[in-house]
Amino acid sequence: MKEIFHSVSLIEERCIGCTKCLMNCPVEAIRIKNGKAVIYNEKCIDCGECIRVCPYGAHVSKGNSLNDTEGYKIKVLIPSVTLYPQFGQEINPEEINKALLSLGFDEVFDITFACDVKAEILKKEITKVEKPAISTLCPSIIRLIEKDFPSLNDHIVKMLTPIEISAALIREKYCKMGYKENEIGIFFLTPCPSWITKIKELKYNEKIGFDGAIAISEVYPKLLKVLNKTSNKTYRKISKTGLLWSFSGGQSQAIGIDNFLAVDGIKNVIKLFNDVEKGKIKDVDYIEAYACTRGCLGGLFLIENPFNAERIAKKIIANGEFSYNVELHDEFQSKFAREDILKVNLKFADDFESAVKMIKNMNKIINMLPGTDCGLCGSPSCRAFAEDVVKGLANLNDCKFIKNGGE
Amino acid sequence: MQELLSVKYDVESGDFIRGGEASSSIKKLLQQLGIKADIIKRICVACYEAEMNIVIHSYGGYIEAKIFNNKVEIIAKDRGPGIENIDLAMKEGYSTAPEYAREMGFGGGMGLPNMKKSCDEFYIDSKMGEYTEVRMVVYF
Ligand SMILES: Nc1ncnc2c1ncn2[C@@H]1O[C@H](COP(=O)(O)OP(=O)(O)O)[C@@H](O)[C@H]1O
Ligand code: SF4
Ligand SMILES: [Mg+2]
Repeated sequence: MKEIFHSVSLIEERCIGCTKCLMNCPVEAIRIKNGKAVIYNEKCIDCGECIRVCPYGAHVSKGNSLNDTEGYKIKVLIPSVTLYPQFGQEINPEEINKALLSLGFDEVFDITFACDVKAEILKKEITKVEKPAISTLCPSIIRLIEKDFPSLNDHIVKMLTPIEISAALIREKYCKMGYKENEIGIFFLTPCPSWITKIKELKYNEKIGFDGAIAISEVYPKLLKVLNKTSNKTYRKISKTGLLWSFSGGQSQAIGIDNFLAVDGIKNVIKLFNDVEKGKIKDVDYIEAYACTRGCLGGLFLIENPFNAERIAKKIIANGEFSYNVELHDEFQSKFAREDILKVNLKFADDFESAVKMIKNMNKIINMLPGTDCGLCGSPSCRAFAEDVVKGLANLNDCKFIKNGGE
Repeated sequence: MQELLSVKYDVESGDFIRGGEASSSIKKLLQQLGIKADIIKRICVACYEAEMNIVIHSYGGYIEAKIFNNKVEIIAKDRGPGIENIDLAMKEGYSTAPEYAREMGFGGGMGLPNMKKSCDEFYIDSKMGEYTEVRMVVYF
């Protein structure tokens, strides 16, 4: 059994139990217990919505700091493609990469190469799965599927994301050069908590093996300081097609597909997946899905407004003349294949009979509740409360509005 | 075999907005029971088609899911107008769906055939002017 990690956590002293996160969590993973928010690990998908809505800064997600990169013989940084449109339209990606290098890394890997590789792989792979093919680089969406939509498994393209492909390529390269595993430090510069979690999980994967994730917001001020006075050492150009991967809809453009849906925002994704599951979305070839508004440019750790960042990204793309034009090798397919999605079981009990009993009981309780979803009991809805009660996670008398004669 | 649990949802004629909610609720129930994902998928597709047929073709009705130890039974029953020729209705591509429903992507005439394909047992019965009843069984 794979262990479930999370990067979103609560600073208890800051939480006043206001119910904002309770009511806004898209997967009902939060409860208020004794006046403080509690995140249920098996439900949380690390989308970071609670961090966005908390007025008191009580929900946080902590990545690595630059100090954590000390102690490796070789330090490689993989910047997310979302980094490049964060500095206005005057600053070239090459300048940004140079600036990153000056923060103490031996190599700044060009993730747009991995994006171009992935695009080539996808062109072939999406024809092999059930239509509509679903491909996502968003770990929150993967977790959502594992938990609530495991039956979509046959639609999912099981290939690594550009981020993982980058790490695999870097590890392979430096291992070949004679470095030992533990001498190579690979760090992802992330736009979101979702990837902090994912990278913790990948620490134990020997093929990919990340050593940490640093939030873009963490290095942003340092980058601003060095951006203009970096050396005039030239740095190679990034790929314009790779940069397409930063916003919702860009992937499809990179693959050259026009019969696609690009859906962003976790609630919209849930709605669409519900429709796919019912067989309602028939004539679509491809779906790209993101937890954040407008895709990864809406990531929590980014500075620029996502809509403006998208405009800037499109400018950089329009002015760019370079693409890797990757040639597809058959070995890519096996090398960058991903294991099956984990199917999280939502069952109430291990044996069928007990599950039936609990559900009957839950339905009885639902009928006793007012159905107003007031949240005062500490659960996000009357239904969720009834579920909590039968699971022994809440007390029936936590609800002050039980209907008369409910018993 | 004894019925362990049942849930029932009203389905209204012409309600394209809420149409599909019964299927979603039944899916959730099956997940809570620990039914395997591929089986849930089959039930979900069949149940949704039956539900939408009530919305599109009938005066309204209900969807009921009965849980047994080894199977689930889905019953979709409405209050008419009934199906005149069931053999014809079961043909792939046959549809009398109105234009507005076709524009919304319904009315491909594949609903009933797909329901039959998705289930282990499929029964349909109808009386003109009275009802149409579809009963589908999937074994766990
Ligand atoms: N519940 C129902 N009540 C009356 N007629 C129905 C009902 N369900 C199906 N039919 C008839 O059977 C035809 C075929 O149904 P179906 O295979 O689901 O295709 P579609 O719904 O796309 O028309 C419908 O067009 C309709 O004439
Ligand atoms: S959409 Fe992108 S930025 Fe947002 S959580 Fe998913 S991977 Fe992270
Ligand atoms: Mg139909």
